[in-house]
Amino acid sequence: MEEKVKPVLEGRDVSRSFGGLMALHRVSFQLFEGEIVGLIGPNGSGKTTLFNAITGVFPPQEGEILLDGKPISRLKPFQICRMGIGRTFQIVRPFLKMTCLENVLVGIVGRDEKGTSREERVEQALSELEFVGLGGQSHRLAGSLTLLQKKMLELARALATRPRVLLLDEVLAGLNPSEILQALDMIEAIRVKRKVTIFWVEHVMGAIMTACQRIIVLDQGRKIAEGPPDEVRSNPRVIEAYLGGADA
Amino acid sequence: MSEFLMFLTNGLVMGGINAISALGVSLVVGIMRVINFAHGEMYIFGGYLSYQLAVGAGIPPVLSMLCSVAAVFLGGLAIEKWLIRPTYGDEMYSLIITFILSIILQNAALLIFGPYPVKPPSLVFGATNIFGLFHYGNQRLLSLALAAGIIGAIMYLVRRTWFGKSVRAISQDREMAAMLGVDHLKVNMISFGLGCALAASAGAIIAPIFPVTPSGSGAVSLTAFVVVVLGGMGSLKGCIVGGVILGVLENLGAAYISTDYRHIFGFIILIGVLVLRPWGLFGKRI
Amino acid sequence: MKRAGLAGVFLIAILVPFFLNQYWLHVAIISLFYVMMASSWNLIAGYTGQVSFAHAAFAGVGAYTSGMLALYGGVHPALGIIAGTLLAGVLGLGLGGLCIRMGGIYLSLTTLGFSEILRIIITNEEQWTRGTMGLQIPGVFSVYSKTHYYFLFLAVTLAFLVLMRRLLNSDTGLAFRAVLNDELAASTSGIDTVRVRLMAFTSSSAMAGLAGGLYGHYLMLITPDIPSLGQMFLVLAMAVIGGMGSFAGPIIGAIALEFLSEYIRIYGEYHLLLFGLVALVIARFAPSGMVGLWEKIWRRR
Repeated sequence: MEEKVKPVLEGRDVSRSFGGLMALHRVSFQLFEGEIVGLIGPNGSGKTTLFNAITGVFPPQEGEILLDGKPISRLKPFQICRMGIGRTFQIVRPFLKMTCLENVLVGIVGRDEKGTSREERVEQALSELEFVGLGGQSHRLAGSLTLLQKKMLELARALATRPRVLLLDEVLAGLNPSEILQALDMIEAIRVKRKVTIFWVEHVMGAIMTACQRIIVLDQGRKIAEGPPDEVRSNPRVIEAYLGGADA
Repeated sequence: MSEFLMFLTNGLVMGGINAISALGVSLVVGIMRVINFAHGEMYIFGGYLSYQLAVGAGIPPVLSMLCSVAAVFLGGLAIEKWLIRPTYGDEMYSLIITFILSIILQNAALLIFGPYPVKPPSLVFGATNIFGLFHYGNQRLLSLALAAGIIGAIMYLVRRTWFGKSVRAISQDREMAAMLGVDHLKVNMISFGLGCALAASAGAIIAPIFPVTPSGSGAVSLTAFVVVVLGGMGSLKGCIVGGVILGVLENLGAAYISTDYRHIFGFIILIGVLVLRPWGLFGKRI
Repeated sequence: MKRAGLAGVFLIAILVPFFLNQYWLHVAIISLFYVMMASSWNLIAGYTGQVSFAHAAFAGVGAYTSGMLALYGGVHPALGIIAGTLLAGVLGLGLGGLCIRMGGIYLSLTTLGFSEILRIIITNEEQWTRGTMGLQIPGVFSVYSKTHYYFLFLAVTLAFLVLMRRLLNSDTGLAFRAVLNDELAASTSGIDTVRVRLMAFTSSSAMAGLAGGLYGHYLMLITPDIPSLGQMFLVLAMAVIGGMGSFAGPIIGAIALEFLSEYIRIYGEYHLLLFGLVALVIARFAPSGMVGLWEKIWRRR
């Protein structure tokens, strides 16, 4: 008998409304270990809301989110992070008045592990910075970095929390084409070298269609399609959602 | 029995005043998410200006009251534009700025008006026999009527005018309101001015009964905050009900339990509500 | 360069009693009290973004606890001050526990309410506290000597500041600053933001209690003015003018304002008004205070 592989991250009938507006309506999804899954949809379709639901910022009002089979919907954001879900933000949010090193250290401190010394933590932080290409910038204030560097820093900070699943929220927004290529390389490196499962919200269609193995499409809070990029790209419902004036 | 009824009616009068004062705070908090710590000072200025105009300049009492409220309204507009607007988005700084402002205004009031309580002339005199049960001062009845009138005017403002509609839109969903084209800056400025004006009118109405002093401004602000928290932030109904409850409790408490500790009831209610039911009686559940 | 500067300041600080007369030595002692108060308030307001109005109240807790224990219980001030510090810390934990979750406005209002409740109780329980007339309590030393008090205050203040510095450089301090910079990002990075803010609040209230206890035994007369909002305003103004969120800011603000206030005292009632105006201008135009302005000037060079 074949044992079915369990998803590392799962959402079942996740629903969330804001003051009468249904932001998410019974959205279900599964992410399997090592995958890189894209999440797309027109503006206002609920993508960031879903991320907020997963990370506990605005928990689901109905439905359930499970990490490795364990329900996490009732947990606080910091607990969810410690269980292994990391995220970056749509509008990049490093700790501007702190140095790059300190930014990444926060992620390490957030793991709340006993038994590591200050030196060990600094070493870990420095290696994360190296990994994202910010090795020489450890003492610069995050506020003085370029946009691409800030995004890399956010990634380093998220990686420092040793996530199993990484939620990327429009990480390519605002980057020029060569920066996009650098970011794409980094994301692939993260997936392969760090063995992280990636859930990726994005508007830069070309990138997400090439990089992801599977795409989920949301429209007005509901899942309307799911499948490999080619299928999704030619799905009439998806085309209609984008062209049908939904994001006028 | 008639004594009890008198205390109760005192509570109602104070309740009406509390309600107007609290409305001033609630409006500003609901729209701008700013707590105006200088609220009490606006109240005091309302009373003092009313007095100065009536006694110092010989202007008829009704006109003095209106002028002093108008003056404070204009002051409020200016304060919003130059002091509060730059702090948008930073709750901490707006708190600090209004707190500092309250200290400045309080000390300025002490210097300009002196520490002695003043009492503008009453508008009406004598007493009325209420339902044959007790006699009650006419000026106090007038104050109650004025308070009720102002509350009615505010309710009309909120329900019927463009300002009121904007206010309701913003308090329900800030971003949606911005997308629909509500002019944030204008609404904020008018709200703040109105908030100060409400404080001033409360002060102007009560001054002929209970004299105002600059050192009383702190108690006024705190009372208003307690009522807003009790009634629920952003709820007009809450301000009225909360104001009356507090007014009655404080008066009965002062009469039957202890006058010195009169103000403590308010704070105990404040902390109690914040701990047990932070959204108050009618506020939105957080 | 920095070390030399600090050593220089330290040297001056030690030599102070030898070149100031009694009046100005008194001012120096008072300014050390404010250094402790402004620095510890800065811990919650400047470093974790919570504007508490209960700080002066906690100083009052320290002063009255220690004072009354000494006066009525014959307890030695050293023990009394420790008791006052602990009590302030416990109350801070309780108060913080109540309102930290709600944050922002609610925290400010709750601390305001607490402060006023305390002041009203102290004012009214005259048989114990002598209300507004003030309570005379014994001093720390059996023989009164301003110089001794100065060195006591200096020692405690220095220990205070060293402890704070170490706290801010530790992992906890890192968490404080993360919460200040961006609470949402901090929480999704694994920081228990409620616990962090509560720790800051509790330690800062204990510090205020300590400062208050010392202050009370120095003045030997404690009044409800200590836990008043007027005092609270002074502490706030010192932190704001000096520079919230920086380590040196409140220190500079406290010393500068206290000495300045003595010069203004000639003008009598104007000094609160003047401080208020300066604080307002700085809060509005230079939110990082004097320290922030200084850094801007340095960077221009």
